[in-house]
Amino acid sequence: MLGLIIRRLIQLPIILAVIYTLTLTLAWRIPGNPLENPEGRRPAPEVVAAMKAQYRLDSFWSFYWSYLDNASGLKYLRDSFSGRAAAQALAAESAGHAPPTRIIFDLGPSLQYRDQRVNNIIASALPVSMALGATAILIALVLGIAAGVAGAIKPNSTTDILTLAIALVGISLPTFVIGAALLLIFPVLLGWGRIPSWGRPVDIILPAITLSLPFAAYIARLTRLGMIEQLQSDYIRTARAKGVSEPAVLFKHALKNAFLPVLSYLGPAAAFAMTGSFVVERVFVIPGMGQHFVNAVQNKDLFLIIGVVLIYASMLVLFNLIVDVLYRWVDPRIE
Amino acid sequence: MLRLLIPFALLAAAIIAILGADRPLPRADFTFINRGDVTTLDFQQMSWQQDNRVARIIAEGLVAADVFSHDYTIVPAAAERWEVSPDLRTYTFHLRDAKWSNGAPVKPGDFLYAWMRGLLPDVGADYIGFIQHIKGGRAFTDWRSAALADFARKHAESPDPAAADDLWCETKRKFSELVSARATDDRTIVIELERPTPYFLDIVGFVSFFPLCESVVSRYESLDPASGRIKWNQDWTKPPNFITNGPFKVESWKFKRDLRLRRNPYYWNQSAIGVDTMSIPTVEDPVSSVMAFETGAVDWVSDVLAPFRTEMVAQKSDFYKEHKAEYDALNAQGLDPIEIDRRLPPDPRKNIHVFPAFGTYFWNFNCSRTLPDGRINPLADPRVRRALALAVDKHAIADGIRRVGEHVAPTLIPPHSISNYQSPKGLGFNPDEARRLLAEAGYPDGKGFITLDLLITKDGGHELIAQTLAKDWQRILGINTTISVQEVKVFRERLKNKNYMISRASWFGDYGDPTTFLETCRTDDGNNDRAYSSPKFDALLDRAANESDPAARFRILEEAERLLVEEDLPLLPIFYYVNMYLFDANKVTGISSHPRGIQLLYHVDMFNDGKGSNAPLALPPLKPGTHDEPSP
Repeated sequence: MLGLIIRRLIQLPIILAVIYTLTLTLAWRIPGNPLENPEGRRPAPEVVAAMKAQYRLDSFWSFYWSYLDNASGLKYLRDSFSGRAAAQALAAESAGHAPPTRIIFDLGPSLQYRDQRVNNIIASALPVSMALGATAILIALVLGIAAGVAGAIKPNSTTDILTLAIALVGISLPTFVIGAALLLIFPVLLGWGRIPSWGRPVDIILPAITLSLPFAAYIARLTRLGMIEQLQSDYIRTARAKGVSEPAVLFKHALKNAFLPVLSYLGPAAAFAMTGSFVVERVFVIPGMGQHFVNAVQNKDLFLIIGVVLIYASMLVLFNLIVDVLYRWVDPRIE
Repeated sequence: MLRLLIPFALLAAAIIAILGADRPLPRADFTFINRGDVTTLDFQQMSWQQDNRVARIIAEGLVAADVFSHDYTIVPAAAERWEVSPDLRTYTFHLRDAKWSNGAPVKPGDFLYAWMRGLLPDVGADYIGFIQHIKGGRAFTDWRSAALADFARKHAESPDPAAADDLWCETKRKFSELVSARATDDRTIVIELERPTPYFLDIVGFVSFFPLCESVVSRYESLDPASGRIKWNQDWTKPPNFITNGPFKVESWKFKRDLRLRRNPYYWNQSAIGVDTMSIPTVEDPVSSVMAFETGAVDWVSDVLAPFRTEMVAQKSDFYKEHKAEYDALNAQGLDPIEIDRRLPPDPRKNIHVFPAFGTYFWNFNCSRTLPDGRINPLADPRVRRALALAVDKHAIADGIRRVGEHVAPTLIPPHSISNYQSPKGLGFNPDEARRLLAEAGYPDGKGFITLDLLITKDGGHELIAQTLAKDWQRILGINTTISVQEVKVFRERLKNKNYMISRASWFGDYGDPTTFLETCRTDDGNNDRAYSSPKFDALLDRAANESDPAARFRILEEAERLLVEEDLPLLPIFYYVNMYLFDANKVTGISSHPRGIQLLYHVDMFNDGKGSNAPLALPPLKPGTHDEPSP
């Protein structure tokens, strides 16, 4: 188990380096000037030239290496050990200046939001998305497993068809429709909840339900299939013959094994849910990560594009690792 | 099975911890939705309206526009009075005894420091041209650009902190040597201009000219020893570091969530302030913005873009019809539309407000001699462009598609938006004349004419308008068209490279003078996307720039605009924009109907909250018969 964790953690920086290279190559080719306001005046040519030089946007390779240097923490280490950081801090102090901000993994400035650094943007948005995504996953698990089990008890019964139908609706209905409908019913018509809805614990309920529905539907179908298969197997028949109560058969024996496919689905699902959904965040006005995935690309905000992609990739690796660990923990037979 | 619950219990605990750590702030006295989150609070770098709007609450330039007067009179702000030399070239501003939000006095040096910053190519101000109205401004920028290039050549390989320091000291010296903006004592600033600029007072009130507290902001400077460039650590615009001289100060800034402002106790004019706290939550979805207003979470939505806004406008005119007698009586008194709404019976339908804006929606014609693919460009012939313009039924677009009370535009500059400026008549809808002109240009009934391509961006409803144009041109002139939809970045690139035939466009004026529109059609202007080049037009602009009599100057500019919209038609004006606001006039006052969307939001006052004077603010009544835009 420890070997697995160590192996994955060694792989992580390599994966990130490859993803960084691919993302930058693609993002670099987005047409347009990231330093230009899309609706407004065009800045003077000398201004554009100066800004491009400042952000190293005039040369791909110069950008590539300087970003890698800053984001990997190499520059931080070099400055620390060469004494350059200390010298700079001292110089700033003697000049009466504020000490320079030092970040280990410096993901750079945002080109669109010039007062913000990508690190700050992610630090403010990621916890929001994670809380929302985690709540959605928990809701999805409860709803999905309940619906899946209910359907599997009597396959092709009315309950089964009904839950399947609801699941299908959950998968097919776009979240912006569900979200807008929930908003219209609860805050606007009934006066429960509010918009912008972030800050109070209850504010998370409506967006989390909206976000959870597609996941719940998928989990319901996985659970149902797994349960039907398990309920027909020999050990269940044995348990029933021994007179084990039906709830114990369902939840203690069958579900334990039927849950494994759900668990492997949870890795990517959690990474996806916790890095934010553009639509849900936009409709419910939630300050999460999802908006940055879309807006950063539209604005060609290179630093932010790479920043959010790297975070997403890390989360994906991390959650898959957690799922693998859980897998072994639940089912020691897997090696 | 139970052990499986442990990780999920941990997850639930983590959620509760995150949510618990994120306490919402109490409701502010006044909450409004800006167009989007502010992109920067660095006054010199600002160019978006939402940024400018916040800047005008937290800071103050030398002068300001009185948004509750019909001609937006320039009134004292940080300067208590000023003198202008007879040749309109020298402005002397006398600062009032004002303080920064940290209690320090506002000095002339704070203004000069900000203007020097704005002129640096390192800062990259979009509105650098505004500050370059000051004599020597451009020379200073050019000097600095050259000096930086020189520095980079010498030190790119061998970074030298001492040399970077020297360059910065030299730059500050050069600024006082080259730029004709000087502090003559500790309350007086004298500015000499490059040329007489009748609208300079309007420009000097723009956010690019807002001062910075030099003693604080200079602490965030840092020099790059390899390039010699100066950078300001971004922390300087974050509270509590951010020191401003306006009626409010920034209390907290949660990026993409909420910007909180609090009354600045050191501001000189406390009696003008109507509330103690303001909150600007970030709501980017247009439907959610309206819902936030409907649920009472916000008091003002500054830009109503929800798809159902046409219905909102229609409902308001139903409301007016139901109260026709009262409305007509109030209107006959020449009252401000907001004041009329305030006096009519309470009704949620009246909360939408539509005001004419200082902006125009139009289409660009590419006037280059050849098309990007090398073919001869028929649009280079002004007769063809005029024919196309005459063959468009603009009413079908404004009243059939837009439906928010916008007026069709025969001209580029919205008429009546600049006092004493007489707009030309422009061209109307005239199919016969259009056909005649096209035949004269050698394409009778569109024979031999190329297929035109209309370039648009995805969102914003341009597709319907493009289809209307295509239909009119096909029906009246026999010209076929295609429509190309592009992402906005690609769109902008293609316009810049003149790689298009016809494209949608818009322009909003920055200051109350015709040149803010007309300069965009000058040969080789950075915003002349049309490749339009007319020596006659350029000569008119030059003549106007050197004309010192304001009335004569306007006659020249009127002739220049006439040339654009009646003869040459490098662009096809369709309609004038409106500003659409959502607020309850019976609950809040202080929101202005300024066409450039300028708001001095410290005037905002909630009625019956015990704070501020609670007196309604409105434009003074017009005399009956004076022009005013009709309500939707």
